[in-house]
Amino acid sequence: MSEGEKAVSKTQNKYPWSNYTLKWGRGEPVSTTQYVLYAVQIAAVIILSYLSVVLLGPLSYSGISLFYFVYPFFLVFTMWWGIWGILGAYLGCVIGAGLMVGLGPVASGAYAISDFIPPLVAFVVYRGLLANRGIDPLWRDLTDKEIEGVKAKRVTAWILFIAINGLVVNAVSAELGVGIENYLGLIPPGAFWGWWAGWFFGDLLAMVIITPVLVKGLTGLVERQGLINGGWVT
Amino acid sequence: MARDDVEARTSKKYVRTFIFSMKTGTPIEKLHVITKFFMIAAMSVLALYMFDIPVSKGGPDIIGLIFLLTIVFVLLIISGTSKYLVNSYLLLALPVPISEFIWWLFFDGGLPGAREAFYLWPGFFPIGISTVVLVLVFGVVYYRTKSFVIAIIPAVLLWWFTAMAGAFDFSPLTTWFRLPIGTTYSFTLPSWSVTVALSKALGFAVLIYTSFLFLLTTRDTEIAGAMRQLGLSFKKAFFIALIFRSLNTLLIDYENIRMAQTARAAGVNRKSVFSKIIDLAHVSIPLVATMIRRSTEMGVALYARGFEAAKKVTSFKETKGISYMDVTIIVILSVFLIYEVVLGHSINNLFIR
Repeated sequence: MSEGEKAVSKTQNKYPWSNYTLKWGRGEPVSTTQYVLYAVQIAAVIILSYLSVVLLGPLSYSGISLFYFVYPFFLVFTMWWGIWGILGAYLGCVIGAGLMVGLGPVASGAYAISDFIPPLVAFVVYRGLLANRGIDPLWRDLTDKEIEGVKAKRVTAWILFIAINGLVVNAVSAELGVGIENYLGLIPPGAFWGWWAGWFFGDLLAMVIITPVLVKGLTGLVERQGLINGGWVT
Repeated sequence: MARDDVEARTSKKYVRTFIFSMKTGTPIEKLHVITKFFMIAAMSVLALYMFDIPVSKGGPDIIGLIFLLTIVFVLLIISGTSKYLVNSYLLLALPVPISEFIWWLFFDGGLPGAREAFYLWPGFFPIGISTVVLVLVFGVVYYRTKSFVIAIIPAVLLWWFTAMAGAFDFSPLTTWFRLPIGTTYSFTLPSWSVTVALSKALGFAVLIYTSFLFLLTTRDTEIAGAMRQLGLSFKKAFFIALIFRSLNTLLIDYENIRMAQTARAAGVNRKSVFSKIIDLAHVSIPLVATMIRRSTEMGVALYARGFEAAKKVTSFKETKGISYMDVTIIVILSVFLIYEVVLGHSINNLFIR
């Protein structure tokens, strides 16, 4: 057994989530159920993005919501379904929080890059880096004390979860989104930091409240049905 | 497909679109989806460009934006969707241009030009154009909504816009009579502020109503058909169609779950923002669970119908060819784009020198 294989074997013995990696896929073709599921979850993110923008009242301004509750949904979907969750985040922003609230295709396509980055970074960091260091890439350690017999590092998981997804990546997302809208002339220069703060704190609040509920209620169900991607695509 | 079935489908007077149903046989319905997409993309680029022309280059192209907005409304009327739009999205979307006007009026620092005085309160109640605006807007919105609060807010805002400029209130054309009330409160802004803010409001209106034109007049199957025409495989085109077909179903699922939670007194109608987030967290579990269950059922149904084994499939009936009308619209819009964006001309300059 080579050194690399030994290391993988050691990790596999240590953590129950070691089959969730950054490989391309499981080496199997996409089943019809997965095919439909990937499409329907994109549709769900589009609808939730639309509702995130309109639920506080009349159509929100420039597609920015102080209450963008879809943020935790597409983060969790990315952890489950890899590249399809990332695609859902981007299309959700383009169609649901862009076209459907009247932002037009050009502006929507540009500013939606800001929703593409956070799930991409989270997926790479959790599956590629933190999973090997005892942090569950499906975030069950946020709510459970133990995952399949392995004691969860709850405090570390929460600190990393908030630091990576809530502060660093979220700040980059806000900077990109509000910056692009400002560049396109959709947000006045004097209101930049107001919109930035609204974006940042709105996403942070929704993420902290909704993610644990989603993870606690659904990750087990999705995993039992064998619907969680082993890699990027399947 | 049986001939009778094809006839029944083609003889429909209305067909379902993304967010409404569209009358068949209108010129807009006959357009290819690629033309419609090009149209909204071109209009978006034009609106974004027109409202962002710097003051040093002559300022925003307001007449161009009014021209674009007129085109959009004419197209909405031609498509037969204007009644639905008036009943739903017109009022829902109206606060956006109004808010954009206010944002740009007060937060667009650094504009050149002399400062002009504007009223917070002119020291009198002007009877004139502003009063007509107040009564008309209140009357129309109250007639539609039967809510005093919802009607009075846009009415007072629009009244204030027509009364805030000092030049309007001292002109006998716009102010016919004055009722002195209180003292004058005013503030100053750069003279370009109103022009820029107005252009942003018009530009947003163009973006919003052009997007609605697309959503109100486009069918999911048209998009799937267009993807096939562009050379995408059936499975990829069907995947895209599946996304768009699921939108309505999921929206209905969301509404059903929300109502079920309300019926169980789950407190989903609490008013504060914080409570709304918690409510959404509660709604999210059944929503995602329903989504997964539906996907599993649909996946099995597709499998049972031989989706994976299919080699040759029937093409989408809704697939259209590119007509002369499509080519004409694409050419006109391309010329307009080149004239305005590439060559840097402005429709304003044709009228104002």
